[in-house]
Amino acid sequence: MNRTSRLLSTVAGALWLACACLAPTARAGLAEATPPAAPPTAGDAAATTAPPATGDAAAPPPGAAADSGDFKTLDQEVQSMKKDVIDLNKDLFVLEEELLFPANTQVAVYVSMDVGTFFALDSVTVKIDNKQVKNYLYTAREADALLKGGVQQIYLGNLKVGKHELVAFFTGKGPVERDYRRGATINFDKGVGAKYLELKISDKVAKHQPEFLIKDWE
Amino acid sequence: MRAIPAKLVLLACLAFGSANLCLADAPTMVGQEAPDFTLKALGGANLRLSEFRGQVVLVNFWARWANDTRREMPALNRINTTYGRAGLVVLGISIDDDLRRAQDFADSMKVSYPVMFDTGSEIGRDYQLGRLPMTILVDRSGVVRYSHLGYKRGDDRLYLDHIRELLRE
Repeated sequence: MNRTSRLLSTVAGALWLACACLAPTARAGLAEATPPAAPPTAGDAAATTAPPATGDAAAPPPGAAADSGDFKTLDQEVQSMKKDVIDLNKDLFVLEEELLFPANTQVAVYVSMDVGTFFALDSVTVKIDNKQVKNYLYTAREADALLKGGVQQIYLGNLKVGKHELVAFFTGKGPVERDYRRGATINFDKGVGAKYLELKISDKVAKHQPEFLIKDWE
Repeated sequence: MRAIPAKLVLLACLAFGSANLCLADAPTMVGQEAPDFTLKALGGANLRLSEFRGQVVLVNFWARWANDTRREMPALNRINTTYGRAGLVVLGISIDDDLRRAQDFADSMKVSYPVMFDTGSEIGRDYQLGRLPMTILVDRSGVVRYSHLGYKRGDDRLYLDHIRELLRE
């Protein structure tokens, strides 16, 4: 309820800002569209086009400062509105996750990779309680992103409270470009809170082999 | 006397309809976002459709046992060679159950574009495959714009018209 009211207030704020931003633009458009009340006389034209007699030719015209100020304000408003939209999107995403995967049943599995000299990742298969829940093929770009320090959420699901087993199979190219398939297992207790597990691929330099670990984040 | 023109009209409609069916835009997929997929290509690399966002993608579903496939592949080869540099990506997806024979078939056809294998037929279900071969054109924003069922002589010219249109956008 608290979150919903916060969301509603954010939406209302975003709408208000949108109106605030659009109003000056609309006014400017109207001003442009409205024809002048009377055609300017020759004298008026001279007055508007003649350079200032005081010698401050470099000084901006009187309306320029106000215009730049308006633009600055408008830009700030647009930026603030963008930030609000991003925040709103984040809140909606979190809300959706909370609804679909409540904390008391939520299990999230992540994949990370370190170094990767001895292993080129091709795919990961995740089994929970002997049931395949995910099989993910990695493109070259995705594998590269993992090597650069990216962490991927490979699975998000629900599990009952109690003891469970997770088995992950990693396939790819091992040392000397050989096909490589390895598994890792973890037995974990799902408590009342959300459970986070990390599948870690790293290099075991001493053995010149890749290492596959599953870390249970408490 | 009045019945004859009505029958003629009906026959003409049926003939027009069936001719259109071969190259008809499948109304179920056109205009929708192309379902994303990742598949292993013949060379061993994994390819994901969404990674080609920003390019025009021609996805050709084929099977070794579909007669038109043998006639369509050389045409797609030519299209890939000509328009690859202009921003077109051609992807072939085999839905054959027998992976080895499908690989042999693709090798024998000397295809120049990536050939992938949907052995589980999941992608085929997502794309609501009706008749094979089936060719889909996805625009730069990832939306299915044209869908062609089957292949007959001259269809490649139709593909080219659509490809040129999408590349110009």
